Amino acid sequence: MVSESRGNIVFNVLTTLWTRYRLQTTVFTIFCGLWLIFYAISPSSFARPFTYTAILSVAPFTIIPALSLTYVIITGEMDLSFPSIMALGAWVLTVTWHAFGPTPLGLILALLAGLMAGFINGVLVTKCHIPSLIATIGTMFVWRGFVLIATGGFSISIGMWRGTPIYQALVGRFGGIPIQIVWAVVIAVILWIFLNLHKFGAHVYYTGDNRVAAQMLGINTDRVIITVFMIHGMLSAFAGVLVALEMGSFWPALGEIYLLESIAAVVVGGTPITGGTGTIFGTFIGGLILKWIETGILAVGVTGFWIKLVYGLVIIIALIAQVIIRKREIRRMKIIGA
Amino acid sequence: MVRESEYLVFTKNLVKRFGDVVALKGVNFRVGYNEVVGLVGDNGAGKSTLAKILAGIYVPDEGEIYVKGQRFRRLTPQKARELGIELVHQERTLAEDHPIWRNIFMGREITGPLGFLRIKEMKAAAEKLLNEIGLKAIPPDTPVKFLSGGYKQGVQIARAVQFEADLVILDEPTIQLSISEVHRVLEYVHGLKKRGKSCVFITHNIYHVYPVADRFVIIDRGKIVAEFRKVDVTPEDLTHILVSIARTGTIPEKYEKINLLNVAGSN
Ligand SMILES: Nc1ncnc2c1ncn2[C@@H]1O[C@H](COP(=O)(O)OP(=O)(O)OP(=O)(O)O)[C@@H](O)[C@H]1O
Ligand SMILES: [Mg+2]
Repeated sequence: MVSESRGNIVFNVLTTLWTRYRLQTTVFTIFCGLWLIFYAISPSSFARPFTYTAILSVAPFTIIPALSLTYVIITGEMDLSFPSIMALGAWVLTVTWHAFGPTPLGLILALLAGLMAGFINGVLVTKCHIPSLIATIGTMFVWRGFVLIATGGFSISIGMWRGTPIYQALVGRFGGIPIQIVWAVVIAVILWIFLNLHKFGAHVYYTGDNRVAAQMLGINTDRVIITVFMIHGMLSAFAGVLVALEMGSFWPALGEIYLLESIAAVVVGGTPITGGTGTIFGTFIGGLILKWIETGILAVGVTGFWIKLVYGLVIIIALIAQVIIRKREIRRMKIIGA
Repeated sequence: MVRESEYLVFTKNLVKRFGDVVALKGVNFRVGYNEVVGLVGDNGAGKSTLAKILAGIYVPDEGEIYVKGQRFRRLTPQKARELGIELVHQERTLAEDHPIWRNIFMGREITGPLGFLRIKEMKAAAEKLLNEIGLKAIPPDTPVKFLSGGYKQGVQIARAVQFEADLVILDEPTIQLSISEVHRVLEYVHGLKKRGKSCVFITHNIYHVYPVADRFVIIDRGKIVAEFRKVDVTPEDLTHILVSIARTGTIPEKYEKINLLNVAGSN
């Protein structure tokens, strides 16, 4: 009797989850499925905590830019320049630390550089009317070129400050857990709150869903877009800083590998590239999925060359699943009042 | 002599061009306090353009707008709302993927001190509004994309009800609606009038606007060509006049003496 009613509660919770968050549940199920597959293939490596801390130490570099990119994509825009902004932020922190030592000043200046780069993107898109895809290709080259010129193409070490308080606060370990994943979670929670519970988040959605209507109803969509690019610039710079600190050095190509990975995380997470809808939770899980695949493939002992192939397959499968879900949702739901 | 302050809205010589197209060619349009005006005219006559200027969405090239006696060269959407002008657009101004309650409050969310949404409050208000305009039994959580055309129009009207303004402009609110839905819209206009508000009802269909309007304004190719008081004309007269304008560009002679534009002192 008791167990039956408990079973009912579990069942009810699951059905509610499934009906209200179909897309997110699917993404999460794919995630768990992958985990089971990897576990079955290589129980030894997936039973070891080290495997998980390895994943969690690198996943934030993909996830953090992907989280703020979700905002950009929901407004119906795109940003290809964020890997260069990651490098810009990391460079600013590196040179500041070399000049003034490992203080928060370097971090603050790096975040400001990211904000500024995002502001420029936003202005190019809204005030100069350049499509964001093109505008951010431009700024992608500009910022990459800038750090190349500034460093003459050389790397700069910052690993000697490992162990200082600020270093520990950004990429240290706490009880074995990489602190950067805590940062990723904190950022995800904040972005989730603003997207879902704040007026600004509502305007982000409307800007992507029906921009003309939003404008007619008095929403300043230009300001929404500029703000979203600025948030994305700042968080990309932050992610770049984390990468440099984790690796112990700045190098001029820093960030490049995250371009398609972060976009893929957003898309696998269920945010349509056309904007208007999308979730922070989905992106977070999407990012974890991609990193899981990477680590999983290495752990099961096949060559790293398989990573790209499996990536591609998972992205395609996830997108097909999403299309099917959306189609069925529309078919199941009767049009009210017709 | 007409004094601007006697009217809720009064425009003088509004001109609006879109490139080579002159959508409005010197429009003097007025709406009294607690008056329902039927604004009728053919496709492309300039009805929506006039409505959008009054709602602050388009900037007129020439002319001026008086609202409650205050003079403006142009309005912004915010300013128009502050002045109590609410436009229900002919185009869908809905975020289709989002629920009804969010759409009703789109751009004017109820928020706490830090800009956080008061979601419960808005949902409750949305539910009440849906009841009021006769869309009972629709959960306010329903995404708008699952509503029929008439119900979507209902959501747009619910907005105007929520932010009840002094002047509500309905741009073709009855297009694509079933008979019972049209009836509901007319009820709403009656309600406005009873509560002392004003309304501009834009339509092609004389029979939709006739029961609720006090005065009819006929616009043709960017100019107001005639105005009639309801007591002076029947729906058949109005149809006759519109057909004549469409065919010959003129109003039948016998109606000219009741055309308010020709009555001394009214213009
Ligand atoms: N944004 C715009 N850009 C260019 N031309 C426009 C624009 N809006 C309206 N026009 C033109 O101005 C004229 C008046 O259009 P308007 O939409 O005001 O007419 P209407 O009376 O509302 O017609 P309908 O009954 O079809 O809604 C038309 O010739 C139209 O093509
Ligand atoms: Mg129109």
